[in-house]
Amino acid sequence: MSFARPRIIMGLQPRLLVTPRAVSLHSAMLARRLLSTSTCSHAQHSQNSNGQDGPSSGMAARTRHTDPAAPRYDAHGNELNPYAGGQSAIDKAVHLFFFTEIIRGMWIVLENFFRPPYTIMYPFEKGPLSPRFRGEHALRRYPSGEERCIACKLCEAICPAQAITIESEARLDGSRKTTKYDIDMTKCIYCGFCAEACPVDAIVETQNQEFSTETREELLYNKEKLLANGDRAEAEIAANLRADHLYR
Amino acid sequence: MPSLIRTLRSVRRVGLREWWRQMQYIGDAKSGTFVGKDQFGNRYFENVNQYEEVPGRHRWVDYAQHNYNATQVPAEWHSWIQHIRKEPPTEDAIMKSSSPPWQAPWVENLTGTRGAYKPYNTVAPKINAWEPKITPRS
Ligand code: SF4
Ligand code: SF4
Repeated sequence: MSFARPRIIMGLQPRLLVTPRAVSLHSAMLARRLLSTSTCSHAQHSQNSNGQDGPSSGMAARTRHTDPAAPRYDAHGNELNPYAGGQSAIDKAVHLFFFTEIIRGMWIVLENFFRPPYTIMYPFEKGPLSPRFRGEHALRRYPSGEERCIACKLCEAICPAQAITIESEARLDGSRKTTKYDIDMTKCIYCGFCAEACPVDAIVETQNQEFSTETREELLYNKEKLLANGDRAEAEIAANLRADHLYR
Repeated sequence: MPSLIRTLRSVRRVGLREWWRQMQYIGDAKSGTFVGKDQFGNRYFENVNQYEEVPGRHRWVDYAQHNYNATQVPAEWHSWIQHIRKEPPTEDAIMKSSSPPWQAPWVENLTGTRGAYKPYNTVAPKINAWEPKITPRS
């Protein structure tokens, strides 16, 4: 696109008039408009405020959907080739890749050398997570304290890693509950299918990603451990499910 | 963004004592508004001024324990510090209303200690060793 724009104005100019030197100089200037100078969607603070509001990505303002190169026609109604009289693709590639690319790459390095680092001091500052993040598993309870799982075994059936093992029995009040609900966290691929399959939102994946252990054995979760996870993090789980419930 | 001006500004704001503590733990002089304190005494801070903190470093925690650990942050504050929720749990109405009365106390990841989780079977074993029973002779 950035190559095409100035060529439109030249129209059907004969190629001989443009000296090769001028072309190379011109295209070197144009090439600078590519990657390093085009806008991207990183979160930024708004420029014209006092700096007290949070970061935002002004994508909508910077995204335009109009065609920059509308076709041109000559007197007979034939469409003009906007590339006629311009450089060949090989010329462009040579200027783009063999020289200006190196310069622009080094320029980006230099720019970032003088920028503040984006390093996050991890246990003190943490990166953003989605409410849909799939971390450690938990079994939830109803607000009354009754466990949600009805032992339908849909999660066990859908699990692509076959990480879930369920055994169930009828309880004394006649309701069917699991007696064994094991997840092998070393087999689990954190796909989230179990949470999707569950009809009562019993098994969920919490946003906890810091459950690394020193032994492999500690990752073989049983029902008590999963229920304990849910009991500890119920407020966070419920708030995340609520934040996402319109999209599920 | 460890520039000299930022360091001096932060030291002037938080005081020498707090700055020394920050250098022992975070390793960077940071200043911002105090957002809250959880049940373990961890303190949470925020600074959304773009000229003072780069985005992504604008929320941080000061751990109460010397042996700090990322899992010492309880779940409610975890969702604040990981930018899942906008408001801290002290002000978040949804977070408050979804906290049930039976919510269990938060425990950090105890791996490598005696409190570490050890898996066990929650049902009776299906395979049992044969225990011979001898009929007493008359
Ligand atoms: S996240 Fe996927 S792999 Fe892991 S237990 Fe659930 S269904 Fe199985
Ligand atoms: S966790 Fe959900 S899907 Fe799995 S057995 Fe229980 S109710 Fe069924």
